[in-house]
Amino acid sequence: MQVGFRRWLGAGLAALVLGFTVPVTAADTSSAQEQAARQQAQPGNNSPVWRDVRSGDNPYQTTQVRGVETSVLVQTEGETWRQLRNHVVTVYGGWLLVLMAAIIGAFYAWKGPIKLHDQPTGRKLLRFAYWERTVHWGAAISFVLLAVTGVVIMFGKHVLLPIIGYTLFSLIAQLSKLIHNFVGPVFAVCTVLMFLTYVKDNLPKAHDLGWLAKGGGLLSGNHVPSDRFNAGEKAWFWIGVTGLGVVVSITGFALNFPNFDQGRELMQQANVIHAIASLLFVTMSLGHIYMGTVGVEGAYESMRTGYVDETWAKEHHEYWYRDTVAGDKSRSDSDGGGTAKPAVASAMKEGWKS
Amino acid sequence: MARMKFLCDAERCIECNGCVTACKNEHEVPWGVNRRRVVTLNDGLPGEKSISVACMHCSDAPCMAVCPVDCFYKTSEGVVLHDKDLCIGCGYCFYACPFGAPQFPQDGAFGLRGKMDKCTFCAGGPETDQSAAEFKKYGRNRLSEGKLPACAEMCSTKALLGGDADVIADIYRTRVLKRGKGSEVWGWGTAYGKPEKGATPPAGAKS
Repeated sequence: MQVGFRRWLGAGLAALVLGFTVPVTAADTSSAQEQAARQQAQPGNNSPVWRDVRSGDNPYQTTQVRGVETSVLVQTEGETWRQLRNHVVTVYGGWLLVLMAAIIGAFYAWKGPIKLHDQPTGRKLLRFAYWERTVHWGAAISFVLLAVTGVVIMFGKHVLLPIIGYTLFSLIAQLSKLIHNFVGPVFAVCTVLMFLTYVKDNLPKAHDLGWLAKGGGLLSGNHVPSDRFNAGEKAWFWIGVTGLGVVVSITGFALNFPNFDQGRELMQQANVIHAIASLLFVTMSLGHIYMGTVGVEGAYESMRTGYVDETWAKEHHEYWYRDTVAGDKSRSDSDGGGTAKPAVASAMKEGWKS
Repeated sequence: MARMKFLCDAERCIECNGCVTACKNEHEVPWGVNRRRVVTLNDGLPGEKSISVACMHCSDAPCMAVCPVDCFYKTSEGVVLHDKDLCIGCGYCFYACPFGAPQFPQDGAFGLRGKMDKCTFCAGGPETDQSAAEFKKYGRNRLSEGKLPACAEMCSTKALLGGDADVIADIYRTRVLKRGKGSEVWGWGTAYGKPEKGATPPAGAKS
């Protein structure tokens, strides 16, 4: 494992050093020259060749069999990948998911869902337009499919297989692989659309720090005002949807299309990054899904129907509420707008049913 | 019980690719699948060496360790086999294998991988020995007929040895002593350097 690590590091460093000092061609032929010299001095001593076999760096290595890296005799990076995947990512990633689920379960048992403090007014505000909801659910459904199938492929061997047996588990895993491979590109497209659709209202503001400092009132139960999206949602947008979304999409493409003849080392690295990023992604998503369904009363309806009650808007996103009722989306002062006339009529168009 | 191994004598291999052809012919493998290949080192330079390589049937096989559906099993003779009915074609064994042994016939668009195929040490698969189903999926089961792998049997210079590890190691040792050079047993450290693992077939494997 350590040898492999050093090779990954070493390859990068060597490329840097060689790039600045000696021409690359000289470095390529040196091992062959070394062997030629050794052949003269000590006939029958092939140790330079055998070193090359293990390092796989000899450019004069040929084979008649066509394919990816068929001229490589031994690739040692595979063992590094095996150790990382089987003993680091699977173990810690698995427990991370269990821990997150346990924390959410404990929080639910302790605090229960966040309910409205005041009575709903019955007046509705449009929170998510049709396009925004479409993009959200496109990304959400593809994400859940990928998360479930990915978890099956990664942990099924240790959790499902002993229970349901080889034949049935193989069928489920086969289906999971197919779904994962075909839904993956859909999710990548949705990630881009999510970013374009939601980036404007997720730009960080100064008062987000205050929200974070108070933990969003999650534990205290106090009301912390926020824009259309609070700092927690913004963190999910930037770290989860954007950051991890882009990472899993890029690495996913490298793994999904082996027909571009990419080498094994690239796919091993892509796989490890993909697994780590997606496990963090799924862990974060558990929090998002909890808050969006059972965790916050009215949150699911807002994305399902697009509308929220005025009381909900006031209690969860006060600044956004004020801006919306003032008909002014570009809020200028933090405490103004409250006196503006309620413009709920515009929101009381078709689609409002309750 | 004998422990089966491959050994390629780089001092003898003349890169005739007879082993590659013998393998293809014996098992009627599909296009694009090469269970065995010959790699030439320092091609055209002094000290040129050729080596025939396929699945080495490792003692602690990385493919077995990373397979997400646990479709690999090891016979009592140390031969690493797999069940194509369980294989999902994820390609993880290909990432992990040091020797590039696992092969994937393309199955559909975008390089979608089909069921993995690799050298079976001419020992077939989990199906009934010498059955038509076994031949179709894994090729001929020569071990059950009391024969050794076709590649090694066919080798014109007897560079490639396949069989009981103790026997082929003795043959090789005698050669090295006589010629006084070429003692490097290629690939053995990588393949057999770790303690034996998983030498019993999994509960689900049909046999």
